[in-house]
Amino acid sequence: MRKSVFAIIILLIFAITYVAVFGIHIGDSETGFNIKGASEIRFGIDIRGGGEAIYEAKDLNRKPTDKELKNAKIIMETRLDAKNILDREVTIDKINGQILIRFPWKTGESEFNPQKAIAELGETARLTFRDPDGNILVEGKNVKESKVQYYEKDNSPIVTLVFDAEGAKLFAAATEKFKGQTISIYMDETLISAPGVKEAITSGEAIITNIKSADEAVALSGKINAGSLPFSLISKNHSTISPTVGEGALDVMVKAGLIAFALICVFMIVYYRLMGFVACFGLLLQLAIQLLSLSIPQITLTLPGIAGMILSLGMGVDANVIISERVKEEMKLGKSLGAAIDTGYHRAFSAVFDGNITSMIVAVVLMVLGSGAMKSFGYTLLIGTALNFLCGVTVSKHMMRSFSFIKFFRNNIFYGIKKGGATL
Amino acid sequence: MIRFYKNRNIYFAISALVMIIGIICIFINGVRFSIQFSGGAILKYSYDGEINIDDVAKLSSDVLNRITDAQQTEDIATKSKKVVLNLSGNSGLSAQEQEVLNQALLEKFPSNNLKLAESNIVEPFIGKTFLVNSAIAILISAVMIVIYVGIQFKKISGISAGIAALVALFHDILVSFFIFVIFRIPLNDSFVAVVLTIIGFSVNDTIVIYDRIRENRTLFPKMGVEELVDHSITQSMSRSINTTVATVIATLILYIFAQIYDIESIKQFALPMTFGLISGSYSTICIAGPVWVMWQKSKERKRRTI
Repeated sequence: MRKSVFAIIILLIFAITYVAVFGIHIGDSETGFNIKGASEIRFGIDIRGGGEAIYEAKDLNRKPTDKELKNAKIIMETRLDAKNILDREVTIDKINGQILIRFPWKTGESEFNPQKAIAELGETARLTFRDPDGNILVEGKNVKESKVQYYEKDNSPIVTLVFDAEGAKLFAAATEKFKGQTISIYMDETLISAPGVKEAITSGEAIITNIKSADEAVALSGKINAGSLPFSLISKNHSTISPTVGEGALDVMVKAGLIAFALICVFMIVYYRLMGFVACFGLLLQLAIQLLSLSIPQITLTLPGIAGMILSLGMGVDANVIISERVKEEMKLGKSLGAAIDTGYHRAFSAVFDGNITSMIVAVVLMVLGSGAMKSFGYTLLIGTALNFLCGVTVSKHMMRSFSFIKFFRNNIFYGIKKGGATL
Repeated sequence: MIRFYKNRNIYFAISALVMIIGIICIFINGVRFSIQFSGGAILKYSYDGEINIDDVAKLSSDVLNRITDAQQTEDIATKSKKVVLNLSGNSGLSAQEQEVLNQALLEKFPSNNLKLAESNIVEPFIGKTFLVNSAIAILISAVMIVIYVGIQFKKISGISAGIAALVALFHDILVSFFIFVIFRIPLNDSFVAVVLTIIGFSVNDTIVIYDRIRENRTLFPKMGVEELVDHSITQSMSRSINTTVATVIATLILYIFAQIYDIESIKQFALPMTFGLISGSYSTICIAGPVWVMWQKSKERKRRTI
């Protein structure tokens, strides 16, 4: 039984690697059982191309309030939706009063003009109430406030609207004229709601009912409020990368990575023989789990993130080198293979432990303090160094122990040691 | 056993020489900050056929009212050509202004199929924030490392070990910095990534040696510090070399590929990284060990004089 441990581990490593590369897809992509593979990793815009922009309020001599920033975010989200750019990040930086946007290139579109999109996203939003023929009845600037409330009877969500004096007048006339028809609400040219008019509203306070969920009500109310934002946004801080440049970078990384991995394996096997062979499987496992740690929670992988992976794999190689050297030393002292493995791993562990813990400290500092790109570096480094303990130490030790029970593998030739104890 | 401590002045001289060359290069080449730190605007357009670079620069200067410097690049693998527009000054550029330039270029050079490949536009204050944040992250990491080493290596008087590790670390950061200067790579976010990676490797390297010193101190309590360190470094020599060889293989291959395909971001990362790794391994053996011995010896002398 103990003899076959290595075979079981190798099979497991192959299985995990297969899943990491190709993923598992059973049944429907939404409801079925799905594990995302390497190709479904969310790549940062530095890899797949796209745009990144930091917006600030234009011609505003005060810092925008939290509420205004939130509204501005809603406008941008609505516009990105309208452009069908769904896989984006929009974040508010309250301290500096800025809005940060990252959006990928739209798949299958070559004429997409990112700097134009960046310019348009910041423009003042225009909220309009229109009649069935599309004529504008009331504008967003006449809306004082919109809120989400719940209907007393069945607790269904509703959105309330309060107009200013001018808006109330216009709205009263409009609802009188279009009683029984619908008045559509547009943000720019995107229809956001089309409520029917039940009766003429003269009080300047309207409610929209028939909303499916509370979330939808919050979104609608937010959009209506956003329409009264008193400033436009401008970005003097943005970068774009075309998908060809990005894909090129990824392609180079993958090719170089595969070749480097193969060469390191050759080096390890030539130098450390059986222990090098075991080390390669440890590294393969580490790489596979690292990929899964990105693809399953869909964490954005950027170029610095890949640097973090390289660093942790390098430290994985180091862990294996330290251990192999130690085991060799013990064998040269004349210990039996089993004993040499036990003491070698034991003695090497403290070095591997302290080295990886310090890197983990750096990784955590970066995740807490760093900005976008550094966070990605911190995440891959943290996962990678944590994996070094599992793959570099535990898994490889079990494989080596299992080999030591097989008589065939007890020959010194498998460890690069001559009979007398000298290195080959 | 190799007498590292005895030869320390040779190693210090080698490092000093590298530092002096680096400093001379700072005067010759100057330290260039990428616009990510200083602020500014760089636009890269891919194009087909032939184009007069000076005309592009002039058009951009006229349209944007900012002097533009244009350069041409071509990548070896795909033969695709790009023109790089570097706008003078450190201010950003609004997306609206950029769109105006875009239209003007398309109008003036309709047959060249100009396409925006990359743009990088940074306001100076945002670049500064990024620089300050990066520096803070690096500093805090360094302090945490000294504290951790101080606690874990109490047996070999932790704080001195931590500070000797930091001296080696600073050495490696300087070397990577000089590589940026010597190869005229503007300091950018890949500089931050390189420094962070080198911190990781360099400290890891030093810790492996310290670990051996810690172990040998228990095994041979009577051994003098000088012999102890020389013995420990010699013992872990093949590990130091092999790890460096393996990691340098990886970064060198990355660099070669990036060179062939002309991927700027990876080139700027892989080259300083390769030198940083070599420096990290060197500084552990030739700087951190001897510095720690010097510290211990001066402590002994003081104890004796008191």
